Amino acid sequence: MLEARFESPLAGREVPADTYVSMREISERGMIDLRGSAADRKFMATAKSALGVDLPKQPRTTATWGDVRVFWLSPDQWLITCPRAKAQEMADQLSQDLAGVHSLAINVSDMRAVIRLEGEGVREVVMKGTAIDLTHGDYPPGTVRRMRFAEVAALLHIVEDNVIDIYVFRSFAQYTWDFLRKAARKGTEVRIFPKAG
Amino acid sequence: MLVVTCPVCGIEGEEADFHYGGQAHVRRPATTDPVNIKDEEQRDYLFIRHNPKGLHFERWRCDRGCGKWFHAARDTVTMDFKAYYGITEMPPLELQQQAKGTWADYFKSVAKAK
Ligand SMILES: [Zn+2]
Repeated sequence: MLEARFESPLAGREVPADTYVSMREISERGMIDLRGSAADRKFMATAKSALGVDLPKQPRTTATWGDVRVFWLSPDQWLITCPRAKAQEMADQLSQDLAGVHSLAINVSDMRAVIRLEGEGVREVVMKGTAIDLTHGDYPPGTVRRMRFAEVAALLHIVEDNVIDIYVFRSFAQYTWDFLRKAARKGTEVRIFPKAG
Repeated sequence: MLVVTCPVCGIEGEEADFHYGGQAHVRRPATTDPVNIKDEEQRDYLFIRHNPKGLHFERWRCDRGCGKWFHAARDTVTMDFKAYYGITEMPPLELQQQAKGTWADYFKSVAKAK
C-alpha cells in the first residue's frame, strides 16, 4: 500500500555558500490555523488551556510556551507553530476542547514553507523585496506580520534581531528561495540602512 | 502612490498592500420586502456612486496584512487620508459635518433616522 509521505518543497536544496546571510529551510515546523473571536471568553480560555499560553491580542505580536509559538494574524485568527510531529494531535485536541464554541482549528503544516535567514544584514536582504522599513523600531524581535514580499503573499517573523523567518505558500517556495538567494548574494550588500533599534 | 494605515492591525503600507473596495456606506434597499423594491432604488444601490471633489468616504481591505475590511475618509483633491474607522462604524462627527453635497445629505438622513 502506498503511504502519504511529506516532502518539503525545498527538499534537496543546498545551503548556498555565496550569500552574505545564511539561509536554510525549516521543514520540521508544524502549523495550525486557529480561528475564533478574541471577544469570546470561553474560546480564549479554552485555547489557553490547550496551548499553555494566552492567545496574543495585541496586533503583530507572538506568544511562546515551550516549543509552541502563537502568531497574531488578525483579531480572529492565529497561526500556531509547533514541531511537525505534534501538529495533528494538537489540532485534534483543540477541535475537541473547542467543541460547541464558534471556532476552527486545522492542521495546515503542509500549506507553507519556512525559510530562515540568519546573520548581520538579514533586514536589509528582506527589504530588497518589500517596502516595509525593518530598520524602524516598529519591528523588534517577536514581531509577526503578513506582507507582500517580492510580489507574493508572505508572513514575516522577526525571531531575533538578526534572525528572520519567512513563510510563503508552498507553491511559492522555490520562487522565494531563488529570489532570496539572489538578494543575499555576496557583493550585493547595500549597507545604507542604519541598524535596527 | 497612496500610503494607507490599517486601523485594525496598525500597519502602514503602500496602496498595493491594500485593496480598494469602492464607496463606503452604500445601503442595500430594505430586503424585508424584495418584491416591492423600486427599480430606481435597486439601480441606485448597484450603480450610482458619489464622485465628490474633496472629502470622500471609502472601503478598503488590509489585503497583505490582517485581511480585515475598514473605512477611510480621503480627500480626492489632496489625496490625504483624513481618518480611518471600523467597517461597522460611521465617520468621526467632525468629518460628517465637513462633508458636502450628497455625503452631507446622506449623513443628515442617517442622523434623522436615529
Ligand atoms: Zn490590517
